[in-house]
Amino acid sequence: MLPSVIMNSDKSDHSGKFFNWREKAFPYLLIAPAIAVLLALSIYPLLYIIKISFQTGSGESIKWSLSNFTRLFSDSFFRDALLHTLIYAIVALTFEFLIGLGLALLVDRPLRGRNVFRAVLLIPMMLPPVVVGVVWRLMFNPNFGAINGTLKSMGANTDALTWTASPALALASVIAVDVWQWTPFMFLILLAGLQAIPQEPYEAAMVDGANWRQTFFHVTLPLLKPAILIALLLRTMDLLRVFDQIFILTEGGPGFATETVSLYIYRAAFRFFDFGYAAAMSFVLLALTNAISYAYIRLLQRQETA
Amino acid sequence: MKATANHARRSSLTRVARYALLAVAVCVAIAPVYWMLTISVKTEVDQFASPPRWFDFSPTLAHYIDAFSTRSFGSFLLTSAIVAALSTLCAMTIGTLAAYALARFRLPAGLNKRLSLWILSTRMFPPIVTAVPLFLMMRDLRLLNTIGSLVVVYTAFNLPFVVWMMIGFFRELPRELEEAAMVDGDSRLGALRRVVLPLAAPGLAATAVFCLIVSWNEFLLALVLTQTEAAMTLPVGIAGRVTQYEIKWGVMSAAGVVAMMPILVFALSVQKYLVRGLSLGAVKG
Repeated sequence: MLPSVIMNSDKSDHSGKFFNWREKAFPYLLIAPAIAVLLALSIYPLLYIIKISFQTGSGESIKWSLSNFTRLFSDSFFRDALLHTLIYAIVALTFEFLIGLGLALLVDRPLRGRNVFRAVLLIPMMLPPVVVGVVWRLMFNPNFGAINGTLKSMGANTDALTWTASPALALASVIAVDVWQWTPFMFLILLAGLQAIPQEPYEAAMVDGANWRQTFFHVTLPLLKPAILIALLLRTMDLLRVFDQIFILTEGGPGFATETVSLYIYRAAFRFFDFGYAAAMSFVLLALTNAISYAYIRLLQRQETA
Repeated sequence: MKATANHARRSSLTRVARYALLAVAVCVAIAPVYWMLTISVKTEVDQFASPPRWFDFSPTLAHYIDAFSTRSFGSFLLTSAIVAALSTLCAMTIGTLAAYALARFRLPAGLNKRLSLWILSTRMFPPIVTAVPLFLMMRDLRLLNTIGSLVVVYTAFNLPFVVWMMIGFFRELPRELEEAAMVDGDSRLGALRRVVLPLAAPGLAATAVFCLIVSWNEFLLALVLTQTEAAMTLPVGIAGRVTQYEIKWGVMSAAGVVAMMPILVFALSVQKYLVRGLSLGAVKG
């Protein structure tokens, strides 16, 4: 770990040149292990994936070309996966934001049992994604699942409601699971944002005779904007890379109905062992999420300086 | 008079509506989880009953015994615990040192900001993007199917989070405290160990708990890096059996309940820092 020289630094050489050198090097020694780990396990893999994205074939017959990238344009499966990912992200984000904001507004007033409510709402979000998959397989199962069972006992005809097994409903079903799991995240961040808004602007609005709608659009929303942006950016980044729950619930099926980019990359790499093509697709996914993470980091920086 | 009575009635109505809406939200949030809980303690007859039995069934622990003594879920559980604990320990040690340096020393050329943003940016890679090269690297190093490979990968995965969170916590501590300790004859590291870390203990604990949660829940990298039962974590073990043709629902649910319990305890214990952790320190909550 750390050189013992530093651990046992004694005061006698505080004025010496050696001490100065040591004092200067000290912060770098503290940072070095972190940088080494990230270089080896984040940056090197990134360079590695760029390298293999230009390779086709394996072993002795490796060829260098752009063919993995040109293949992307003619691959209708990739196009569908990209489309599913975008639909998934946009629809889930919209519902999570609207419901989360609604709940946050309901709770951002004197409320008995607010902490209990907040704690209970945490549960879906903290669950291991694999467990979320198990939970919703039990709910969605057409034969003995809780949803269809309950509907049936109320007299509904559930023959067509096969949820994740139906090509028409599967994407909507996995999106619903995402909304169930991650609306609490929006709720928590937005509630924290709402509670950080001081009382004065509201009082001023009341003195000016603003009604609730004017207050909401001209006071609450503008002041909540930083929290909204952070919540939306973080969620978008996660939505674009979604893998776990869909893998457990449908494995991308039925057919190709719920295949997202992450699942398709997984399939290409670990089912067909086509690592070069998987790498090229990873590149596209990375570019897509990078734009959003860049926006997020810029926003963070502004928060930092504010 | 009438206006105020109307007003009062309307406001008590909206209050009822508000509590009703929140009650619906609570039900939607926990009903599916509760359903899994019931499946894990139901006999097969009750599991497949129609209409579904939400409350009236005779509980049994058979599925838990089946999952953890006759099947290998006990060993998956142990692997998960070891991987989570070791990777958290490594990420916390390496990350806290880096965070301390970045929070307390002024490095030349704006390095503080550049380095911390660079560290943060490595957190933003989608896991599938690093999964493919990590698989190939670990294969070449013959480290596939080892607990060590998961520990190393999760350490790198959690490290940016630790650095970013701990920078925030260190900055909240007054610099004068360590300066006083150093005047009293402590070395830098002595001051860090005896003064700064104890004061940052709540932040350290919260950050560590977040790392534990992330490592415990992580699925994709574990799926890619481990295929043998000996090195499988609980999520991968559960997933491998969910997608098989014939599914033992009671066993699955029992394993799911056990996988979720520590996480719920952890999450409740860091409630105070939850918003901060979830937004990587951007919203102080």
